[in-house]
Amino acid sequence: MDRHALTRRSLVGAGLGGAVMAGTAPGALAQTSPAPGAPPKPGTLTTAPSSQMGLSPRLTMHAIDNFHGTPGAGMVCDLSIREGDTYRLIKTVTTAPTGRTAEPLLVDDAFKAGRYELLMHFEAYFRALDVKLPTPNFLGLVPVRFVIRDVGQRHHLPILFSPWGYSYYRGS
Amino acid sequence: MAGISTHVLDTDRGRPAAGVKIELSVREGDTWRMVKTMTTNADGRTDGPVVAAADARVGEYQLEFHTDAYFKGLPDAGGEEPFVDNAVVRFSIFDVKQHYHVPLLCTPGSCTTYRGS
Repeated sequence: MDRHALTRRSLVGAGLGGAVMAGTAPGALAQTSPAPGAPPKPGTLTTAPSSQMGLSPRLTMHAIDNFHGTPGAGMVCDLSIREGDTYRLIKTVTTAPTGRTAEPLLVDDAFKAGRYELLMHFEAYFRALDVKLPTPNFLGLVPVRFVIRDVGQRHHLPILFSPWGYSYYRGS
Repeated sequence: MAGISTHVLDTDRGRPAAGVKIELSVREGDTWRMVKTMTTNADGRTDGPVVAAADARVGEYQLEFHTDAYFKGLPDAGGEEPFVDNAVVRFSIFDVKQHYHVPLLCTPGSCTTYRGS
């Protein structure tokens, strides 16, 4: 494989090649079927990006491991909503081999306006992949906080992460 | 140099984020104890160290950046409500001899943090 193809493939695997799937029919969520079980070994790239155009309002996420250049598979995340001064746990999910969750984080009646926290288990994720980390690791349980105001809009939450940093943003 | 420092950058405008309130907390058992409040200066940094070398201990720390108030308070704020709630960064000091520079790059729709230097 030539070097450029590999680079392109890496970008696609990281969800940065969005235009590739622009032709996906509205309503069809194209993604490879998540195989249950252990996360893939770092370096395996078996997923393509997916377009969510045309889907109903919902909250979805995508964990992308910038350390290995793979989807963040097997990342445990606790989704909570703010009530007063505390966060109330809604559910705990584990990302599929695509780095996404099998079901939307929130959809239909469960998709409500509010202030949310997605607590991501970074340290457990990297330890499961035998990454050498300090103890305690620099990043252990990472709170990703965001606000949903308009439940008439689709919200996508990509998180790009490594043992030493992360980014998240309102995606599409 | 050891301890903790930070730097807040408004990557929406491409300049330091001045006047951002930051709360430092430390983990004590199951709770976070607020230690002090700081505000970023014109360079987006705090005037003094967030945690001085002599005060650094192995453990978990939290910086809450009041980016929401910062973006809403800008003279050219567009009335758009930020997607990122006040960014909260939690990290550990694992070796008190090392320095931990923890910057925040923020826009109303995103934030990034990392171990800097």
